[in-house]
Amino acid sequence: MAAFKTKEEFSYDPNDLFGHMQQEFPRESEFDVVIIGGGPNGLMAGAYLAKAGLDVAVCERRYEAGGGLATEENLYPCYASNPHVLYHMMVDYMPVMRDFQLDGPSLNWIKPNSQLGMVFEDGSSILLTRMLQDTKDSLLKYSFKDAVTFGKVIREWRRIVDDIIAPATYIPPMAPIEITMAMQKTEIGQRMLELGEMSPLDIITDTFEHDKVRAIFLYAACMWGLDPRETGLGFMVPLMIDRAMNKCYCYGGSHKFAGALAREVIKNGGLLLESAGVNKILIENGRVAGVTIDEGRTLRSKVVMSTLDPQTTFIDLVGAEHLPEDLKASVEGWRWDKWSFNTLHIVTEEPPKYACDDPFINDSFATVVGIESVDQLLAHWDNVVAGKIEDNLGGHCTCESLFDPFLNDRPGKYVSMFQLHAPYDIEGGWEERAEGVKEAMLAKWSKAAPNLTPDKIVATSMETPEDIEIRFPQMRRGSIKHGDYTPIQMGCFRPNQECSDTKTPIEGLYVCGVSTYPGGLVLGGPGYLGANKVAEDLEVKKWWTPTPKMEKYIKTYLE
Amino acid sequence: MGKDERYDVVIIGGGPNGMATAAYLAKSKLSVCVLEEKTECGGACETQEPIPGVRIYPHAMLMYASPAPGFDQLELYKYGFRMNWDPMDPLTPEATSMACTDGWRRYTDKDMEGWGKLAGLFGTPPYTKELLRATFWCPPHPPEVEVTDDNVPYMQVYKEHQPEIWSPELRQGTMFDILDEYCETEHWKTAMAYAAWASGAAGHWEGVAIPAIHCVQLLILTNTGRTSYPRGGLHGYFHAIHRCAVAHGAVVRTCCPADEILIDDGRAVGVRLKEHAAIGGRNIWANKAVISACDVHQTFLKLVGPKHLDPGIIRKIKDISLKNQTLYVSQYLVKKPLRYNAKFAEFSDTRYVGPNKYPWGGIYPCDSREIYYADVADCDSYKTKPTLPPEQKMWFQAPSLAFDPSDCQGYHPKGHITAPIEMALTSPDYHVEGEDAIDKYRDELGQYLTQCHSSMFDGLDEDNIIHHWFATGRDVEYRNSGLIGGTWAGSRHCEDQLWENRPIPELARYRSPVEGLYHAHQTSGHPGGLCLMAIPYNLMHILIEDGIVEPAEWWYPAPQYIPQEGKISADPNKKSKV
Repeated sequence: MAAFKTKEEFSYDPNDLFGHMQQEFPRESEFDVVIIGGGPNGLMAGAYLAKAGLDVAVCERRYEAGGGLATEENLYPCYASNPHVLYHMMVDYMPVMRDFQLDGPSLNWIKPNSQLGMVFEDGSSILLTRMLQDTKDSLLKYSFKDAVTFGKVIREWRRIVDDIIAPATYIPPMAPIEITMAMQKTEIGQRMLELGEMSPLDIITDTFEHDKVRAIFLYAACMWGLDPRETGLGFMVPLMIDRAMNKCYCYGGSHKFAGALAREVIKNGGLLLESAGVNKILIENGRVAGVTIDEGRTLRSKVVMSTLDPQTTFIDLVGAEHLPEDLKASVEGWRWDKWSFNTLHIVTEEPPKYACDDPFINDSFATVVGIESVDQLLAHWDNVVAGKIEDNLGGHCTCESLFDPFLNDRPGKYVSMFQLHAPYDIEGGWEERAEGVKEAMLAKWSKAAPNLTPDKIVATSMETPEDIEIRFPQMRRGSIKHGDYTPIQMGCFRPNQECSDTKTPIEGLYVCGVSTYPGGLVLGGPGYLGANKVAEDLEVKKWWTPTPKMEKYIKTYLE
Repeated sequence: MGKDERYDVVIIGGGPNGMATAAYLAKSKLSVCVLEEKTECGGACETQEPIPGVRIYPHAMLMYASPAPGFDQLELYKYGFRMNWDPMDPLTPEATSMACTDGWRRYTDKDMEGWGKLAGLFGTPPYTKELLRATFWCPPHPPEVEVTDDNVPYMQVYKEHQPEIWSPELRQGTMFDILDEYCETEHWKTAMAYAAWASGAAGHWEGVAIPAIHCVQLLILTNTGRTSYPRGGLHGYFHAIHRCAVAHGAVVRTCCPADEILIDDGRAVGVRLKEHAAIGGRNIWANKAVISACDVHQTFLKLVGPKHLDPGIIRKIKDISLKNQTLYVSQYLVKKPLRYNAKFAEFSDTRYVGPNKYPWGGIYPCDSREIYYADVADCDSYKTKPTLPPEQKMWFQAPSLAFDPSDCQGYHPKGHITAPIEMALTSPDYHVEGEDAIDKYRDELGQYLTQCHSSMFDGLDEDNIIHHWFATGRDVEYRNSGLIGGTWAGSRHCEDQLWENRPIPELARYRSPVEGLYHAHQTSGHPGGLCLMAIPYNLMHILIEDGIVEPAEWWYPAPQYIPQEGKISADPNKKSKV
């Protein structure tokens, strides 16, 4: 049952015409922990800590918790889509899945075999699949050598993911020197270190020979924002490629995941307040004392966990005057993502049928359209970084209705989306450019899938990088991960060395959103790590234990 | 796939009634499962954000439920329930005016006084809460009790507190008849009658005058609603109910549409899900009861089916009148803010409200009851698309985004959002050209809505409108299967279908011809819609009578409740005749 302390009492006075008949949540209340932000990390942290017996409140600015785990009727009336998180890549590893039994009656995960397709103008196509031999079949038509290489290299990459990166996602970060020493302990660890020194482009061009094969793997590697030419994060290439081939769809829409997490918070006695934008983190005697929310209510607590971006947390909510100089400097130097997404949602009478040599592309979870070569991929990427979108645009498409009958209220229609990397600051401005970009995307898409003719299109709606920021103000400049993935903002540097283990220099303040290690894309990492840290600091017994994969990693590398 | 699941009670439908029922039962220590067909629970208590920054409330938006025992019994404040109270002082000139075709017309102290009297404000002490509870939060009397002017709950309350108000006429006349006696101006009466029609019981129906008046009083008395809304909209209110249920152990299964109510030897024993349900087409068994909180047609015609019901009942259920209009909610995103046109410029500063400073129309046009009757005729009599000239078509504007700039997304960085405007049109099911006809006229209807709204506002021209969201009756029906016929209350709140007749006498006390099957939906139970937590509260009496629920220490029954003979009384102090 929801638990908090308050001194306020309610009584109804019939003589007071302006008095209220019903009791409301008090103006001032006291909790053990207040969590700012009801996205996946806030909800996870809340669920763990509530179940550990703490009085927890999660404050969410929007009318509905979930953050990026959104399913919205953005083709109102009657058609919903997942405007934000659509591909769930870490379902296989997130401790929250096991600890709250989120794979079963409360949530269903669809992991199609056809995972990532790429169609080309010449009518050929590549399909990356969950079952690896199917991928090899698809690569064979371009290059025997690449198919054979893929078979070998993917086994190595899988081990890097399975033994190291995935379990390490849920263990506090180490300094680079510590990582280097730890990874020396195994051959696979050493291999990972070698990859780290390379750029995604180098890794892919060194590994594969055929340009089209290179194009799809480079796309998969950089789809979530690794800079293709930047060195230092190459170790993430195996992760991105392996996960691009093991994505899950959340049956009923991504918001169903948020709903399940929210119910875990509540079931375990936590409070979830929506339409409760936090406007101040209270600092008293140099330590955290609670928060105030927009409507003027105060929630007092000794621990506040923020899942927001560093600028909002430290500058806007805490206030620069309370920050140590180092922290202030690092917050001010925070870099937002270099790119964002522009997403076109459509409702059609038929699912897209791609004109290509592989019918299984039509079943694919995602299909890349418009990218013909590595050069073109890089050209679009360079355009985006330079604030441009030109005719060489390309991106990934998904027909969500193929996996989910719950998005369309009217039967016999299909909801799909086409998403591409896009600049926040587009030349000419989005207001001016949006219509043209939309037309160019539709043209590109219907060229690849000729059945998408105007008479088959029931409704369209496009969300630009500016729209992302409007829906989620902490995704500043459309930064879906609250800040760029660069070597100096990753690992123990995310968001900075002082805070990457979730505890900040301000007593009682913790950070556990996607701007904290390990980062974004619904990894389930920051919230889990934040909950662990707070449980340790408050000396509450943890009711959970590391997963077997985490234990194995700890034993191999950390002991 | 896992095993079948088993609970004490299985509830079909996770809207406000289903979920509040779940909260009551879970708090009574029963094991409860709620089956919701959509991804998100809430039913008509929903909020959508079709483009980032623009929130719309497709259905429920205003708070009618303030007197509900549920706030207290379910302790909703513990689950985050908060209100955004309208700061508008109800005595300022801009608040005491009604929009008419020739501009604003003031209403008078006599209007206010009469209205206040009917609300119990002049008792010593005022008895408003008790009076409103009597009208909505009390189960219909058992069939063996003859309904009289003395035992109807609100009549009892008037008689006890202010016998001079009590008169048999309160139950005989229409709301107009009563207002003619108590109030003064025609525009006030017309506006209140329209508000009642849009809230459920109409101003021109005999036999439901007091429920009609009380519907509106739930909304606009200073201490009930004051046209205010819960923080986060009605979905925010719903969250508190949902979370109360979950915190007490209710299991909520979303994306789980029901296929059939399983009946064994005349007794409801569970629910089979549709094959595409998120947990597959499995059976969810109920040890004690199945409660259908989805609409009366679906419940009995589809989920129970003719196999288990008499043809006479089936016919009666088919005939339940859905006529209570479809409300078309329009919300606009415009480039330049709307302005009142010249006729309404009188309160040019103060009547622009909210973070966007947009004009708020209230109810338009309230000139006279002839306008009201023409509107009713257009919706319920002609059965076609609207025939009224736009400037004579009635509509009202909900001020739901108006008050609190801190309630995010009440404003848009690149445009101005208008508060939702609602207009009643013929339900698709009654359309002379068939229920799909409205799809054909969608664009035309959209234009008509805009023309009507332009009777008061300048700026609704194509160049200025970025987007106009609205859902037709057909859209409504697809989006929310419980809003049958695309109508809001689902079934009419007229005398033939209210109180002991709601929706038909055989179903009036939430029981059904199938043993162990109860219903708890606005279309099927007294007092109907408005998200009052009333049906769940009233149903509790019946479930206690049937021995399904053991009342806990926090439970209190309606003071006017009469136990059914031979059953366990839901009032520990009142014994039923055995």
